[in-house]
Amino acid sequence: MQRVISVSLNRNVHHLEEDAHARLAEYLARAQRRLATYPDQAEVLADLEQAIADQCTRRLRAGQSVITLAELGPALEEIGEVEIPGAAGPLPAGDAAAGVRAAPAPGHGLQQISEGAWISGVCNGLARSSNLDVTLVRVIAVVLLVFSGGGMLLLYPVLMLLIPYAPLAQNAAPLPWLPAKSRELVTAIRAKFATIAG
Amino acid sequence: MTPDAPNFAPIRKGLLEFLVLRIVGSECVYVPDILRRLASTQFATQEGTLYPLLSKLRRDALVQYEWRESEAGPPRKYYRLTDAGRAYLASLNDYWSQINRTIEDLGRPPCSE
Repeated sequence: MQRVISVSLNRNVHHLEEDAHARLAEYLARAQRRLATYPDQAEVLADLEQAIADQCTRRLRAGQSVITLAELGPALEEIGEVEIPGAAGPLPAGDAAAGVRAAPAPGHGLQQISEGAWISGVCNGLARSSNLDVTLVRVIAVVLLVFSGGGMLLLYPVLMLLIPYAPLAQNAAPLPWLPAKSRELVTAIRAKFATIAG
Repeated sequence: MTPDAPNFAPIRKGLLEFLVLRIVGSECVYVPDILRRLASTQFATQEGTLYPLLSKLRRDALVQYEWRESEAGPPRKYYRLTDAGRAYLASLNDYWSQINRTIEDLGRPPCSE
């Protein structure tokens, strides 16, 4: 006899047998790790949860209400592991996408990214446009802060005011307090400047 | 060596974004439509690859989506190109024809004499 566990997949309730639940939890944890530095992590995870729910529901026999490994296994197989676009997978060396990028896509310039930001998203944005890890960018910023004798304390607000914000993910979870307030403040100051400038 | 050889995997992978833009550009689609259209091609892919890619394209303001009710289950996301997406796709199409011309030209004339 299997214990049945109820879970919410993209805000709908589904019932899974214990071992199916364990497999699903592993899959989602793996997906979450792979998306750890991805700005739209929450949105992609919600999309995947919905895909899993759809795939499993489609595989249920009439009158069967509990998802077992027999449904979940093939469902996850069909959905596949999460792959970050442009990331080097288990492939021969070389940038897979280099060949087709005639020009950088519009909107690829330097932007501040509020999701996952510590303060306003400057480091987050610098990390994306320079293809560096955000942690590395933050470490560099802190090192510069220490060695510049506080000069960086001035630079951050300047960058914050000058660098445009990337659009927020649709239907994203609300931002934490500091990134939300920073964004609000900067937007207000810019609006002020715009009216003064005429 | 057949075209399915691993050496060509980066090419297929790199072209996926281009193909997805072409599909989204041809009609308003949701993810199972895109998967179906790619399934029988060399570019067959999976939701685990497609959702992160679409989310990146949306962040780059190349595609946008709207929610539509479905008969079974929750509403679905239907994707289409933005104006910027259409312009970008046009430049990719041009670039792709240039590549094709280059490939054709380099194979001519046949070295027969």
